[in-house]
Amino acid sequence: MQPEENEIKRIEEAKQKWEDGALKQAMQRLGLQENPLEIYTPADLKDHDYLEQTGFPGEYPFTAGRFAVPLVSAMWGRGKNLGAGKMIKTSFGYSGYGTAEDMREFYLEKGNRRGAGPNIAFDLPTQIGYDSDDELAEGEVGRVGVAIDTLKDFETLYEAWTNDQDLDKIASNWTINGTTNILLAMYIALAEKRGIAQEKLRGTPQNDILKEFVARGTHLFPAKPSMRMTRDTFTYCAEHMPAMNTVSISGFHMREAGATRVQAVAFTFANAIAYFQLAIDAGLDVDVFAKQVTFLNFGGGMEVLKEAACRRAARRVWAKIMRDRFHAKKPANWIYRELGGGLAGYWPCTKQRPLNNLVRVAIGAVFAAMIGDPPGMEPPFDEPLGLGHSIEARQLGADAARIIVEECKLGDVHDALGGSYYIESLTDMYEKEMFELIRKIDEMGGAIEAIGSGWMKMEIIGSAATFQQGVEKGEIIRVGVNKYTEPDEIDVMVPRTSPYKAERREDAEQRQIESLQKIRKQRDNKRVQDCLVKIENAARDEQANLIPLFVEAVKEYTTMGEICRVLRNVFGEAK
Amino acid sequence: MIEGKKIRVLVAKAGLDGHDKGALLLSSILRNAGMEVIYTGLRNTVGQIINAALQEDVDVLGVSILSGSHKSFARKIAGQMKEKNMGDMLFIMGGVIPDEDIPVLKKMGVAQVFTQDSSFQDIIAYIRNNVIRHS
Repeated sequence: MQPEENEIKRIEEAKQKWEDGALKQAMQRLGLQENPLEIYTPADLKDHDYLEQTGFPGEYPFTAGRFAVPLVSAMWGRGKNLGAGKMIKTSFGYSGYGTAEDMREFYLEKGNRRGAGPNIAFDLPTQIGYDSDDELAEGEVGRVGVAIDTLKDFETLYEAWTNDQDLDKIASNWTINGTTNILLAMYIALAEKRGIAQEKLRGTPQNDILKEFVARGTHLFPAKPSMRMTRDTFTYCAEHMPAMNTVSISGFHMREAGATRVQAVAFTFANAIAYFQLAIDAGLDVDVFAKQVTFLNFGGGMEVLKEAACRRAARRVWAKIMRDRFHAKKPANWIYRELGGGLAGYWPCTKQRPLNNLVRVAIGAVFAAMIGDPPGMEPPFDEPLGLGHSIEARQLGADAARIIVEECKLGDVHDALGGSYYIESLTDMYEKEMFELIRKIDEMGGAIEAIGSGWMKMEIIGSAATFQQGVEKGEIIRVGVNKYTEPDEIDVMVPRTSPYKAERREDAEQRQIESLQKIRKQRDNKRVQDCLVKIENAARDEQANLIPLFVEAVKEYTTMGEICRVLRNVFGEAK
Repeated sequence: MIEGKKIRVLVAKAGLDGHDKGALLLSSILRNAGMEVIYTGLRNTVGQIINAALQEDVDVLGVSILSGSHKSFARKIAGQMKEKNMGDMLFIMGGVIPDEDIPVLKKMGVAQVFTQDSSFQDIIAYIRNNVIRHS
């Protein structure tokens, strides 16, 4: 791939000749002042080394693919069942609403997928540590997710997961961050009640508090005590829950909040570096710790070739960080664990003519498949229309992925974009830009400083503002939003079946408050108070791991809000 | 709003919703359009929003909600505004709000609702055309 110097010279001369000849003529004929297209040649890759920078899939630097055989081929490749048949009606993806009773019914009605587990969205009070009857929870209970106040709610929800889908046979996914450890404690307590050892429990809490400060907003405490809670997760799971993932480090939300694609990756890695350092400082072995770390995707956008190149660069950058910065010894630990995909992002999806979102996401999935990732069809096309993805949207999404795998056969070749003069040039450029940003953050003292000073948030919102200016000026086109909006355009739509029962959501708050107040009357309140005192004291001790105390407390049906109130007393509050 | 003076706007995040890209961008764009904008930051109760609106003596109250709790907050905010004789203040909402809820919100007292259909220019124009002017 590295052409010799003479060859480079010949190519550059030939390019000049083309620019002065065929290109100039074409532009004159069409009345153009500038060439509307870019062009890349081998000359742009004269410093690119194939073995060092591209390499082979599943090997350092992982640019060409995270696996020698991608998981998607092994599990969902041609000839396998990609979410086949019944699974559309029974699959539910990321979901949650109402009360635990509502979700138990939701899972039971759909019939449960073998081997999978719930992928749970929680309501805002649960995410931010307020009970359903707290003043601040008013209007929010059971809306963006299910309400969980006490262990009783977990017991109820997980009644849908028993027998051959009991806790030792499934993996739970929780989009929970600041209140992760309390939720984890509930899961441990639930397992104990069912006679299941915590060593057997599998799951992934998102638990990425750093990005909350700059992009998602469900943080509770200031950064330092927040990181202490994260440390508790790391050390507790290292010792007691080796099958549990401890974190899902996310770039997605920062990208959605307006970060550029390079910022999203670089800031994710800066945050990841802070988490790894936290683990190392707590005495964990990086090679052991890395096995319990996952990443969510980095977010995406519609310029899919650039997104594909950016993903390839991200793999290489992280491999260098793991190998050269953290000195991880196991090569398998040099590449991040993630599902992959999500190349088109959620933010480009429009409320206007929402079926266009199916096209947008499918285009992203095509390029994900071409770089060895699963052809993830997230989000479903009706994401901008409000809470809950319809069954129809899931059907079309599944079919799009199947078409990509079975008909286009995009999974049949590794890194089809590899070697493209354009893609490799972009990949190399993005790598440089990512390391530049990471170095800048290092100089500030790391992610925690960069976040605490407000810098990271300012960068993200600055990028959002720049993008918005482009939209307002008409330089950035969003089809059906700021262009192609004339009355003659047709608003195409298909009938949609909501996965949720809307009426349940309307009275969920009332039902939840009633059941919560009942629990408060029925439990042993003296023991609850004792537990809370113990938690408060231990919170003041930096070295103490609070999770065992949370387990004790939740068993007495202490509420999420009661525990968090005590923690807020000690840790303070971040707004 | 007193004729000749700048339009004053309070941009508020209500409830626990932590998504502030829209609110931050709106604040910036309204400032660029010559308005004075106060942004509340995240997690404000109805009481906090009403107090801020009164204290800052704004002409426009803009509430941003993406968490589905818009009806609950609209009802309470509109109720408080009525109680405290804030009828001259223009109450608008934005965020992720289903079309079918917009008539309901307007019945409650929300003057206009801006969702993904609206451009920032729409919002600026609406404010300029509908803010109550005193001479």
